[in-house]
Amino acid sequence: MNFLRGVMGGQSAGPQHTEAETIQKLCDRVASSTLLDDRRNAVRALKSLSKKYRLEVGIQAMEHLIHVLQTDRSDSEIIGYALDTLYNIISNDEEEEVDDVEGKRFEDLGSQFTEIFIKQQENVTLLLSLLEGKWRTSEFDFHVRWPGVKLLTSLLKQLGPQVQQIILVSPMGVSRLMDLLADSREVIRNDGVLLLQALTRSNGAIQKIVAFENAFERLLDIITEEGNSDGGIVVEDCLILLQNLLKNNNSNQNFFKEGSYIQRMKPWFEVGDENSGWSAQKVTNLHLMLQLVRVLVSPTNPPGATSSCQKAMFQCGLLQQLCTILMATGVPADILTETINTVSEVIRGCQVNQDYFASVNAPSNPPRPAIVVLLMSMVNERQPFVLRCAVLYCFQCFLYKNQKGQGEIVSTLLPSTIDAMGNSVSAGQLLCGGLFSTDSLSNWCAAVALAHALQENATQKEQLLRVQLATNIGNPPVSLLQQCTNILSQGDKINRRGSKIQTRVGLLMLLCTWLSNCPIAVTHFLHNSANVPFLTGQIAENLGEEEQLVQGLCALLLGISIYFNDNSLESYMKEKLKQLIEKRIGKENFIEKLGFISKHELYSRASQKPQPNFPSPEYMIFDHEFTKLVKELEGVITKAIYKSSEEDKKEEEVKKTLEQHDSIVTHYKNMIREQDLQLEELKQQVSTLKCQNEQLQTAVTQQVSQIQQHKDQYNLLKVQLGKENQHHGSQSDGAQMNGIQPEEIGRLREEIEELKSKQELLQSQLAEKDSLIENLVSELLQPSASAGDSEKVAELKEELATLKSQLNSQSVEITKLQTEKQELLQKTEAFAKSVPVQGEGETPAAANSTDVEGRLSALLQETKELKNEIKALSEERTAIKEQLDSSNSTIAILQNEKDKLELEITDSKKEQDDLLVLLADQDQKILSLKNKLKDLGHPVEEEDELESGDQEDEDDETEDGGKDQDQGYL
Amino acid sequence: MAYAYLFKYIIIGDTGVGKSCLLLQFTDKRFQPVHDLTIGVEFGARMITIDGKQIKLQIWDTAGQESFRSITRSYYRGAAGALLVYDITRRDTFNHLTTWLEDARQHSNSNMVIMLIGNKSDLESRREVKKEEGEAFAREHGLIFMETSAKTASNVEEAFINTAKEIYEKIQEGVFDINNEANGIKIGPQHGATNATHAGNQGGQQAGGGCC
Repeated sequence: MNFLRGVMGGQSAGPQHTEAETIQKLCDRVASSTLLDDRRNAVRALKSLSKKYRLEVGIQAMEHLIHVLQTDRSDSEIIGYALDTLYNIISNDEEEEVDDVEGKRFEDLGSQFTEIFIKQQENVTLLLSLLEGKWRTSEFDFHVRWPGVKLLTSLLKQLGPQVQQIILVSPMGVSRLMDLLADSREVIRNDGVLLLQALTRSNGAIQKIVAFENAFERLLDIITEEGNSDGGIVVEDCLILLQNLLKNNNSNQNFFKEGSYIQRMKPWFEVGDENSGWSAQKVTNLHLMLQLVRVLVSPTNPPGATSSCQKAMFQCGLLQQLCTILMATGVPADILTETINTVSEVIRGCQVNQDYFASVNAPSNPPRPAIVVLLMSMVNERQPFVLRCAVLYCFQCFLYKNQKGQGEIVSTLLPSTIDAMGNSVSAGQLLCGGLFSTDSLSNWCAAVALAHALQENATQKEQLLRVQLATNIGNPPVSLLQQCTNILSQGDKINRRGSKIQTRVGLLMLLCTWLSNCPIAVTHFLHNSANVPFLTGQIAENLGEEEQLVQGLCALLLGISIYFNDNSLESYMKEKLKQLIEKRIGKENFIEKLGFISKHELYSRASQKPQPNFPSPEYMIFDHEFTKLVKELEGVITKAIYKSSEEDKKEEEVKKTLEQHDSIVTHYKNMIREQDLQLEELKQQVSTLKCQNEQLQTAVTQQVSQIQQHKDQYNLLKVQLGKENQHHGSQSDGAQMNGIQPEEIGRLREEIEELKSKQELLQSQLAEKDSLIENLVSELLQPSASAGDSEKVAELKEELATLKSQLNSQSVEITKLQTEKQELLQKTEAFAKSVPVQGEGETPAAANSTDVEGRLSALLQETKELKNEIKALSEERTAIKEQLDSSNSTIAILQNEKDKLELEITDSKKEQDDLLVLLADQDQKILSLKNKLKDLGHPVEEEDELESGDQEDEDDETEDGGKDQDQGYL
Repeated sequence: MAYAYLFKYIIIGDTGVGKSCLLLQFTDKRFQPVHDLTIGVEFGARMITIDGKQIKLQIWDTAGQESFRSITRSYYRGAAGALLVYDITRRDTFNHLTTWLEDARQHSNSNMVIMLIGNKSDLESRREVKKEEGEAFAREHGLIFMETSAKTASNVEEAFINTAKEIYEKIQEGVFDINNEANGIKIGPQHGATNATHAGNQGGQQAGGGCC
C-alpha cells in the first residue's frame, strides 16, 4: 500500500516526480497483474489521481485503460473506474475555477486526449457497445452506463464533428444512444439527453436519425411528465435538444408537423394569469419553448413549410394561447418580449392568423385592440428597447402581405374615420404621434411601421396622401407628406432626444417607400418647390461621414422622384431633374452617394433577417424591407441617371409606341371584356332557358303520367262498360282517324250524346213495352180468356226477340266504338309523347311546350268531363238495367201465367170439342129420330123438333120447364 | 388528423432510380424532372385508407449514393416497410439489388415488408430489364413486385398502398409486435387503448386539430 500513501502525501512534497512514478507503477500493475482485484484497485487508484494529475495519468494510463475496457468487460466495477478515469482526463468540466491561462491549457489538454482516444475509431465503437443496454435491469449496468454516457458526452463536446462522424458510420450507433432516453434511471436518462444534445449539434444527418428513432415523442413525453414549463432543468435540456433537432432542419420540421407534435406544444403556454411566481427556471423553459415555436415558423424557412406550421398553430389554438400570454398581466418583460416576437412570426404573411390577431382585444375597460395597446408601448420611451423592437416586428408581421390590414391601419388616419373613432386612440394617431414626437426612437419606429402599411400597396400610398395634420391653432392643416419633408428640411437643427440621424433616416425611408411605384405621390412631393433644392443641397454638400448615409438616402429619394416621374409637373420633368443633377451634383458624384446606403455596415445586417433585432438603439438604422427596396432600385436608378437625353427620348418614343400598342391592346381587352360580358349574359340566358325547359319537361312528363293514369281509369271504365253491354249503337264508324284530338273527342262526345238519346229512345220503347205488358197482364187477368191472348204473347215474344237482336247489334257497335276510342286514345298518347321530343329546342320549344301544355290541360279537362258523363251514363244504364230486369221478371211471371192460361184454354177447348162431338151425336140422334118419326108418319116442325129435341132430357121431367128453358136460351 | 396506424417506410435503391420522385409523386402528386441529389435522408408523409382505416405513412427517402450508405443503414431497423427501387432502363441498378437486399435483411427487423419496384416504366423504348426478370427476382426472394412510373404516376399509389396492405395483413395475423415502436408501427389515437387486432372497434374519426 505504500504507493497509495505516496498518492495521498503527494501534494506536500516534490509531487511531480513521485506521482509520475506512482502512476507508472499503477499502469504496470493494470497491464501485467493477472488478478482482477489487483487490476481493479490499480484502476481505482488511477481514477483518484486523474483529477489532480490529469496530464500524467492521461499520458501514461490511457492505453492501459482502453485495454481494460476491451478485456475486463465482465467486471462492471473496473470498467466503471476506467471510464471515470478517462472522463476525468478528457473532460474540462472540473477546471472552471482555474484562471484563464490555465483554463486554456487544460482545454487544449482535453481536446488532445480526445484526439488520442478517437484516433482508433474502435475505441468509440467500444464505448458505444458498453452503452448498449445488455444488462438493463442490473446495478452492474448502472456503473458502466453512467460514466460511459458522461465520457461520450465529453468526447463529443471536445471534438464534436469527428466523434459524430465515427458514431454515424458505426452500425446502429445513433439508434443505440436513443435507447438512453428510455432508461428507467432518471440520472442516465437525463445525462442521455445531454449526450444527444452534443451528438445532434449541427449535424443534420444525426438529427434526422434521432428524429426517426422517435425522439420527438419521447422528449415531449418527458416534458409533459416533468410538468411543462414548471419542470426543472430536465425540461430545459429536452427543449434544447428539440431545438437542435429542428433548427434549420426542414426534413425534421416537416416530420414534427406531420407527426402532429405542434398540437402538443399548446399546453406549454397555458400559464394564464396565475401569479404562482415566475422562477428563473420557468422563465428559461418558457423562453426555450417560445423559441421552439419560432424555429418552426421562422421567416427563413421555406415558405410552404412555415405557412403549414402557421396554419396548424392556429387550428390547434396555439396562437390563441400565445395571445393570451400577450395580454396577461404579471408576465416577466423578457417573456413578454419573446412572446411578442413569437406571435409575430406565427402570424407573418398568414392571412387567417393576421385576421385573428387583428381581432384580439386587450382585457381593458373599454376593451382596446391588442394592436393599439402594443403600439402604445412602441412609442413609449419608458418601455424597454427590446420590447419596443418586438412590437415593431409584430406590427410589421401583421402587415406583411396583408392588404386588408394595411388598409385598416391607413384608414384610421383618414378624416372620415377619425371622427367616427371618437375618443379612443387609434393606431394611426399613435403612429403620427410617434412620427413627430421628440423621441428619435419613436420617430424611427413609427416611420418604419407606417412604411410597412404602404409596402407593395399602391392604393394605400395614394390614400395616405389625403392625410392632413392639424398643427398649431390658427395655422392651416398640413399634409402628412409635407410635414415629413418639413422636419427633414430642418436638417441637423431638429430637437430630438437620441440620434438625430435616426429620425432623419426613418423619415427618408418612409418617403422612399411612399414614393416608389407611385407617380402621384412623386408629383405631390415635387409640388412643394422647396423639396428638390433641399435634396440637391443635401447631396451636393461635402459633409462628414456621419451625414453620408443621409446623403445616400436623399440621393435615393431624388432618384425615385426621377424614375417614377410621370412628367406631369412641367418644372420637374424627368429630363429637367436629370439636368439639375448633372449641373449641381454631377452624375458620378450622385451615384457614389447613392452607393453609400448599401455600403453601410448596418445595411447587410438588416438585410439578413426581417426581425428588427438591434443590440442597442444606436444600431437601429435600417429596416429589412427597406433594404429590399434599395436592392431593387439602386440599379434602375443608376441606369436612369446615366441614360442620355437622346436615349431617354428614344425610350420615350418606344414607350409611346408601347403605349399605343397598349392602348390597342386595352381596346381589344375592353372588346374582349365586353364580349365576355355578352357571352356571360347569353350563357346565363341559356342556362335560365335550360332550367325552364327542364321544368317544363318535368311538367310534361308529369302530365303524361297523369294522362296515362286517366287513360287507365278510362280503360277500366270502358271494360266495365263493355261488361254491361248496354250501349246504343252509333254511326261514328266512318269517322276519320287522322283528325286532331279535340275534334275527335268532340266527335266522341257527340256520339255519346247520340247514344244517350238512343238510350232514351230505347227507354221510352221499353216503357211502352212495359205498358203493353201491363195491358196484356190486365187482359189476361180478365176472366174471359180468349184465343187472342196467345197471339199477344207471341207478339211479345217476337218483340223481345227483336229487342234482343237489336241489343246484340248495338253491343257489336259499342265494341266497335270502343276500339275506335282506344285507337283515338293511343293517338292522343302518341301525340303527348311527341311533345317532349319537340321540347328540345330553346325559346320556340318552350313556347311549343306551353302550347302543348295548354292543349293537354284542355284535353285533360275534356277527358275528365267525358269521364263524368260516362259515369253518369253508366249509372243511368245500371238503373235501366235494373228496370229491365224487373220488367223481364214480370214478363217471365206473366208468361208463366200466360202458359197456365193457355193450358186452361186448351182444356176448355177440349171440353168444347167434346161437347161439340156430343152435340153432333145428339143432332145425329135427333135427326135419326126425326127421320124415324117421319117414317112413322108423324109430321115434325123442323125447327121446333130440333129445339124441343134439345130440351128432351129436361122435358122428361117437366114440359113447362122445357119451355122456359127455350125462352131463356133465346 | 387521427389515424388508426402509423407505418414507417424507407425507400432504398441505387442513385438516380427515382426514389425521391416516387415519394414526391405519392405525397404531392407532382413530378420533378430535374435530378436533385438527395443528401442523407428526406422525409415525407401521407394518409391512406385501408379496410376503412386511416393509416398514416411516414416515409424516409434515402440517398442512393454509396457515401451515404452508413447513414441510411440507421433507418432500416425502425421501418415496417421498404420500397427497393431499380431503374428498368439501367441494368446495373437491377444487378445491385442483391446487395441492397442483403443490407436491408441484415439491418432491418425480420418482418419488414419489402416491395420491389422497377421504376421508369414510361421509358419502354430504353428498357434494359424485362418485367419478367423483376418478377422472377421478387419471387425468388419473397418480395412483392411492381413496375411504376413516377413521371406518369402509374402504379405509384398502388406501390405504397399495397405495401401498407401487406403490413396491415401481417398485423392482423399477429406477426408484428405492434406495441414495439421500433418495428416502425404505431397504433394511432383512433384506436384508443385497445388491441389493434380488434378489427371492428374503429370509431368515427376524431375531430383532430387539423394538422396531419
